[in-house]
Amino acid sequence: MSAARPLPVDDAGRPLFELPDELAIDTDVARRVIAGFIRGQLLQAGFERCVLGLSGGIDSGLVAYLVSEAIGADKLLCVLMPYRTSSPASRADAEAIVADLGCASELVEITAMVDGYFGEDGAMGAGGESVREATPLRRGNFMARMRMAILYDRSVAFGGLVVGTGNKTESLIGYTTLFGDNACAFNPIGDLYKSQVRQMAAAIGVPRQVIAKAPSADLWPDQTDEDEGAFSYPLLDRILYWRIDRRRNTDELVAMGFDRALVERVERLVATSEFKRQVPPIAKLGPRTAGVDYLYPRRRPGSSRS
Amino acid sequence: MLRIALAQIAPRLGALDENLARHHELIEEARAGGAGLVVFPELGLTGYQLQDLAAEVAMRLDDARLATLAAATRGLSATVSFVEESGDHRLFIAAALMEDGEIRHVHRKVFLPTYGLFDERRFFAAGDVVRATPSRLGVGVGIAICEDFWHLQTPQLLALDGAQLLLNVSSSPGRDLAARNDVGLGTATSWRTLMRTYAQLTTSFVVFVNRVGVDESITFWGGSEVIAPSGEPLFSAPLFDEGLHLVDVNLDDVRRERIALPLLRDERLELQARELGRIISERAGFATDSTAEPGAEPGLDVAARAPEEPIRLRSRRR
Repeated sequence: MSAARPLPVDDAGRPLFELPDELAIDTDVARRVIAGFIRGQLLQAGFERCVLGLSGGIDSGLVAYLVSEAIGADKLLCVLMPYRTSSPASRADAEAIVADLGCASELVEITAMVDGYFGEDGAMGAGGESVREATPLRRGNFMARMRMAILYDRSVAFGGLVVGTGNKTESLIGYTTLFGDNACAFNPIGDLYKSQVRQMAAAIGVPRQVIAKAPSADLWPDQTDEDEGAFSYPLLDRILYWRIDRRRNTDELVAMGFDRALVERVERLVATSEFKRQVPPIAKLGPRTAGVDYLYPRRRPGSSRS
Repeated sequence: MLRIALAQIAPRLGALDENLARHHELIEEARAGGAGLVVFPELGLTGYQLQDLAAEVAMRLDDARLATLAAATRGLSATVSFVEESGDHRLFIAAALMEDGEIRHVHRKVFLPTYGLFDERRFFAAGDVVRATPSRLGVGVGIAICEDFWHLQTPQLLALDGAQLLLNVSSSPGRDLAARNDVGLGTATSWRTLMRTYAQLTTSFVVFVNRVGVDESITFWGGSEVIAPSGEPLFSAPLFDEGLHLVDVNLDDVRRERIALPLLRDERLELQARELGRIISERAGFATDSTAEPGAEPGLDVAARAPEEPIRLRSRRR
């Protein structure tokens, strides 16, 4: 039986985060699988290096550690891409991770790109008059897609694959930007719930302040995931786990003690975001159609670039 | 004494030539290590997640590459696995026993999982035969491929047909990561339970060889094992690491175990055949189902009804 490690605690001796029992994983096994997965993806694609966007948050932080563990920090480029309103603490955390790992890093501020489109201080942007009053949602999506564009450009210059940093919880509820933060060559943590990301982060040595802080997309000041969504991650993770991984229906979840309104809200989020988790459909016309009846592994002999 | 080499390898997906070369290397390494039997995992020559590539890496049994591989087995036995294309162009997941330069026996995977993360039936034909084969090792050998062992009948038929050494070659994807399992992986826990049970119930050696490495999303967990006829594990390979593992077994243990625990002797084949015959006729609707609920349609044991309706047992036969 793999020994359960005690959860890390803060200075007052309180656990840094809550880990529901059913979500606890053997982090040693998970690290082995993920390291092999990362090496396998690179091998099959003919690459040796990785690029990722490092926000200072726990998800991208954990991925930076996992990539370093799999292939060595010298083969990792972390790109820090703050906007002018991004939290300085996030940037400091990202820099602490880079310093701890000893990986390469670059700073690319997206302020000029974003303001260049939406405008700033009364000046019209490339998007024209109509985008001046764009909602935070539009601005947030745009920022995520600017970061994606930068990562894919840097991936050519650095010769590395873009590694995804989205977790299972945010993917299932659709708390991602399509072709933005969810764009990647492969994702090592996309099957880990947020609670499991925290458990992994603690096991692999992500700085404690990164684990302890409230998760945030940092798309506007003082935004936090849990305030914005009005949920707590451990509770949301448990609902998703029992609903999806363990196939319990709504009534069964309610009988287990979950609030019906919350369960139904989570189900709506999952259903309405299905499109973000799938490759767009192609109209079936010819004899063989990619993804329908032309089904090949993504990588096979001949698909390696090197 | 038999020295078995478990080739826990990570095949490259679709890279037939590269995988063939690796098989040749490991056969020689096993020979040098004194092994009498080398066991390679399911689809060790092609990789697992082939999808439409399956047809492109398929080989007929008279393929020169298989003949060359068989030729490398002079003086020993090897089990290798590949995509076999039959004369009528069906594609099978096959495992061949090669001995002394020739292909002695071919098992075609009977149970093709097509659920969860598996989609085998879409790409492959299912084998129809479960047979043990005599071998130069002096005992009967029964070959099964991965999912074949998730059906009780496979190890039982092989043992009843004369196998004393059951070989399961697998490409088992690791999943259900949890802290509560003994090796942190639900798949591994389930497999270990099955193999110990089969070894004990068939009083046979069970050799399990599972691949490692990554195809697309899935990671294969390795953990190859040898289990004695008593159900005792004799060897467990590390999870996830490539390696050629040599394990010595005393084949006389089969005799000892079968004398002490004559389970196979006591199997009631005629009873099983008779009851299976009855169930088959009933399922087909050719015979009145003597154990069905009242109102059940032919072929179904349970009547269609609302869940809250109580089950009433029939008082007398129709």
